[in-house]
Amino acid sequence: MTDIFLLLVGAVLVNNFVLTQFLGLCPFMGVSGNMETAVGMSAATLFVLTLASACSYLVFQYLLVPLGLEYLRTIAFIVVIAALVSMTEIIMHRTSPLLYRVLGIFLPLITSNCAVLGVALLNVNQAHSFVESVFYGFGAAFGFSLVLVLFAAMREKMAGSDIPEPFQGPAIAMITAGLMSLAFMGFSGMV
Amino acid sequence: MMSTILPAFFNPVFSLLSLGLGIGALLGYVAQRFQVTSDPVVERINDLLPQTQCGQCGYPGCKPYAEAIASGDAINKCPPGGDETIASLASLLNVRALPLDDALGTAGPRMVAVIREAECIGCAKCILACPVDAILGAPKFMHTVIASECTGCDLCIEPCPVDCIDMVQAEPTIPEVPSFLFSAADSQTIQACINCGLCVPECPVGIQPHLLYHACRTERWDNAQDLKLMHCIECSKCDAACPSQLPLTTSYQDAKEAVHHQQKDRERAVRAKRRFELHQLRTERFAAEEEARRQKRATLAKEREKVTASSIQAALSRARARQQGKEQES
Repeated sequence: MTDIFLLLVGAVLVNNFVLTQFLGLCPFMGVSGNMETAVGMSAATLFVLTLASACSYLVFQYLLVPLGLEYLRTIAFIVVIAALVSMTEIIMHRTSPLLYRVLGIFLPLITSNCAVLGVALLNVNQAHSFVESVFYGFGAAFGFSLVLVLFAAMREKMAGSDIPEPFQGPAIAMITAGLMSLAFMGFSGMV
Repeated sequence: MMSTILPAFFNPVFSLLSLGLGIGALLGYVAQRFQVTSDPVVERINDLLPQTQCGQCGYPGCKPYAEAIASGDAINKCPPGGDETIASLASLLNVRALPLDDALGTAGPRMVAVIREAECIGCAKCILACPVDAILGAPKFMHTVIASECTGCDLCIEPCPVDCIDMVQAEPTIPEVPSFLFSAADSQTIQACINCGLCVPECPVGIQPHLLYHACRTERWDNAQDLKLMHCIECSKCDAACPSQLPLTTSYQDAKEAVHHQQKDRERAVRAKRRFELHQLRTERFAAEEEARRQKRATLAKEREKVTASSIQAALSRARARQQGKEQES
């Protein structure tokens, strides 16, 4: 239990995927423009990442290892992730069409969100068990969501403030992301 | 055992193939199960359009334009909606707000049609043209426009044979926003809100004046209403407390006016939409009735033709018989 808690805290805060390991920066900058999209993207990523880490564990342990095909793991994981994202997309188009429209291209781009593949590969590298894999995936996604939502809140706030002209838009967003990353450095050594 | 007999590439190829096939089958099932039949986004977009049904966007009404937007058309083709509609569409669809397409017309104050009644000859042509049934009248009687229902679409001007319809400005719907709130040149004279929070304890109704100020300044009216804009009693205690001397109460007053006008516009749009739908239903029914009448007339005419033809035949044969009788007699 403690192990899993530490794994979660480690994935969410200490080794935050966005701000410490710099994975998944594309959606981090792309969909943090407003809160609603950020929350939608977080939910989609949370769902996909947790499921993807479970599925990729199963594929690895029960398909690739018995056949001695560990070297195919990257391809196999990408196939699994792409399928999961397509499934999420189809289901979301039916259940929440507006979110589907709002997320637009970023939804299929979860496929190429390197955090998703990163989690699957790190699970293999660190020899996590099934439960650990699922929690590690969940923790990574939760950390991603946390940072994304915090960043979106800040960007919404910045939209109404007086920013010098050369810093407007992506420039100030990059600086803010850098400062957030510095802040997250404070967690290192906690676990 | 298998792996020793079969070639070395069998395992990887077969396993990836079966993985792909399995996943493909699953995706196929899910796609079938969650098939999307209609696009509810169209309704959401349509609700944001001003419902003037003027056709300035190049589509025959607001609904077709909403459908076009949903399938990827530009959002800046609605002159009556102006920048406000573009902004709300942009935030709904999460696309960048574009400036209005000037080629289609310019945004202006809300206009209504007025008939110069002394000159009206009662031809009823404008009544047919009005998409929201806002013109009252009957053939050979004077017509008049119901000003509260007129959307200012211009469609009645063109059919009028005596040019007795004018477009006049309705009461202004866009509030005069004080320029110092938004213009970049004057913003230097006003200091920025430093979020010091001194205004918060001053407010007698528990509003957070600095947050509300930001919402009003960026024209996020929904956000402002969430921050209890309408609870403000305009006591201007926050103005007195503000070290930056921001015009807090003035901005709330302007925001309230803007929200009020927005709500009125929305109500008007909802009414116009309903009237347009009824108008369309009626037009369709008339067209169907006309078609039925036409067909009935056609069949009647055909029958009559048949009857005439047969009576002519009968008369001819009678005449011929008589002639033959005469010939035999002679």
